[in-house]
Amino acid sequence: MIWRSFESEWVKMRRRRLWYGSYGAITAVVVLTTIVTIAGALHHPDARGDLTLAQLAHASGLSQGLTQSGVLLGAVSFSIAAFQFGGEFAHGTLRNLLVRQPRRSVLMAGKCLAVLTFLIGAVVVATMVAICAAFVMAHLRGIPTSAWTSGTGMGDLGILLGDLAISACGFAIIGMIAGVLLRSSVIAIAAGLAVLLPVETILTDAIPGTARWLPAQLLEAIAQGGSATAPFGAALTTVSAYLMGAVVIAMLVFVWRDVTA
Amino acid sequence: MSAAAVATKPVVQAMVRETEFHAVVTLGLTKRFGRRLAVDGLDLRIPAGSITGFVGPNGAGKTTTIRMLLGLIRPSAGRGTVLGHPLGHSRAYLPRVGALIEGPTFYPALSGRENLMVLARLGGIQPRRIDTVLERVGLGSRGLDPFRTYSLGMRQRLGIGAALLPGPELLVLDEPTNGLDPHGIAEIRAMLRSFADDGMTVFVSSHLLAEIQQICEHLVVIETGRLIFQGGVKELLAARAPELIVRTESREDAKHLLRLVKSIGRSAHLVGDDESMTLEIAADCSWAGDLNRLAMADGITLVHLAERRSTLEEAFFEITRSCAGQTVRENDACRGAGGSDRATGPRTPEAGRP
Repeated sequence: MIWRSFESEWVKMRRRRLWYGSYGAITAVVVLTTIVTIAGALHHPDARGDLTLAQLAHASGLSQGLTQSGVLLGAVSFSIAAFQFGGEFAHGTLRNLLVRQPRRSVLMAGKCLAVLTFLIGAVVVATMVAICAAFVMAHLRGIPTSAWTSGTGMGDLGILLGDLAISACGFAIIGMIAGVLLRSSVIAIAAGLAVLLPVETILTDAIPGTARWLPAQLLEAIAQGGSATAPFGAALTTVSAYLMGAVVIAMLVFVWRDVTA
Repeated sequence: MSAAAVATKPVVQAMVRETEFHAVVTLGLTKRFGRRLAVDGLDLRIPAGSITGFVGPNGAGKTTTIRMLLGLIRPSAGRGTVLGHPLGHSRAYLPRVGALIEGPTFYPALSGRENLMVLARLGGIQPRRIDTVLERVGLGSRGLDPFRTYSLGMRQRLGIGAALLPGPELLVLDEPTNGLDPHGIAEIRAMLRSFADDGMTVFVSSHLLAEIQQICEHLVVIETGRLIFQGGVKELLAARAPELIVRTESREDAKHLLRLVKSIGRSAHLVGDDESMTLEIAADCSWAGDLNRLAMADGITLVHLAERRSTLEEAFFEITRSCAGQTVRENDACRGAGGSDRATGPRTPEAGRP
């Protein structure tokens, strides 16, 4: 049953314009962040501890640019997921789907899985392209890349890819929940991005320690493999608890609410 | 067994019996949105294998009723069955139901074929069925074009195609002719007839009463969420007396003929004002010869003589008017045969009058 819903959602997501738009946006974000990070690396360490060319030459250097793309990648993932779910209400297509699949939880689960696989694919493609861009930038800036292709370098890259995928999926799940609860892709994207980006950033700056509790901050920390305020394990545990709770609420609302759209 | 259960059992047994002959049966189906009562104790009986029209003014509760039948909205009260399964178990009957609700809504960027593929995959329907359905609704050659390029008529046909995908036993169509030109309406009408010929039960809501009159055998009329008539269309129209429409050469002749007709006990009146040359006489065509002889005997020449039977539109206005503004108690009576558990025959407009 979930498989049918998954397959059905993929019929929609296979359309070229969505594919190019989403994969293009995610790839652009990740590649741009990588280029800017490598281009901005300093020759010598400064007082602020900004990234240097010597640091980029380490095995983890290849991942440095990618780790900075967590929030932007999250914003794009959030928007895609909110659009996929909120749009069903806004366009009135949900009623057609529910006549063919009355088990609403099954419909939602299948759609959710489809969107997540779509995004994981986008993260993988974006990372591959970003790696190519990183090698080009390293060549232009004279950074030795032999450590990048070592076993340690590849291991770091694999872990980073996993972290980015988890972070993007987390943002996407929040997007789906916003789409279901707000029943409009436009409102979900506008309200969601406003809360996740500026509001959380202001709260983090204004109240010390809140980064450990705010979902977007936690997901950003996960994308970076953990941060000083939110270690990876703690961030993953807290955000998983949030998402599970929110998914249960969204599922209950979706199952019980009348479909009048 | 509790007293409530004992009282409920015969009702349930009656419903089970009803489901043998009816595709849809509801008992006291009610939907309340906050303080607004959208559907009020609806007792529907939709005969299996028939084309049933579902009419009522805007906001009467037609779409809400359809949504409840399709499991999209939870009833506030009441019960019912669709294809023999309780309303609460829509997953048991929806695989055998096709529906077009409030106009065709599809993904604009996807082709007609892809839109149907989304629904086919979801419903576990064989993809080869899509081509059959597209051919049937006349979109075989346009199936690969994006939905956003479709005309309104093509969109409606794709909506009907989507409803036909599962090879349904019950087809529920909400305003399938909305916004269509006369040619498009005629196409949809022919399509609905062909579905009924295939043995489907078709439940179609429409504002176009002339269309309903042409294609439906059975009719359900609701107003402000209440059932005010259900029964055969022919029975409804037959219950209304036909009229003879007569036109004379001059208004003096018309007035004279009016006096003559009234003198022999027939009910008649001049159409419009006293200057009119047209009379309406309560009689059917069997009396037309007598009328002609009566006029000739007095030297009156008839330039027009024809029988006029009521249209569904006139019957609709009369029964909705007769139920409007009545008290709740009167309205209960107004539901008449349609509102009863047992009878589903037509309620004549006169029956609802105080």
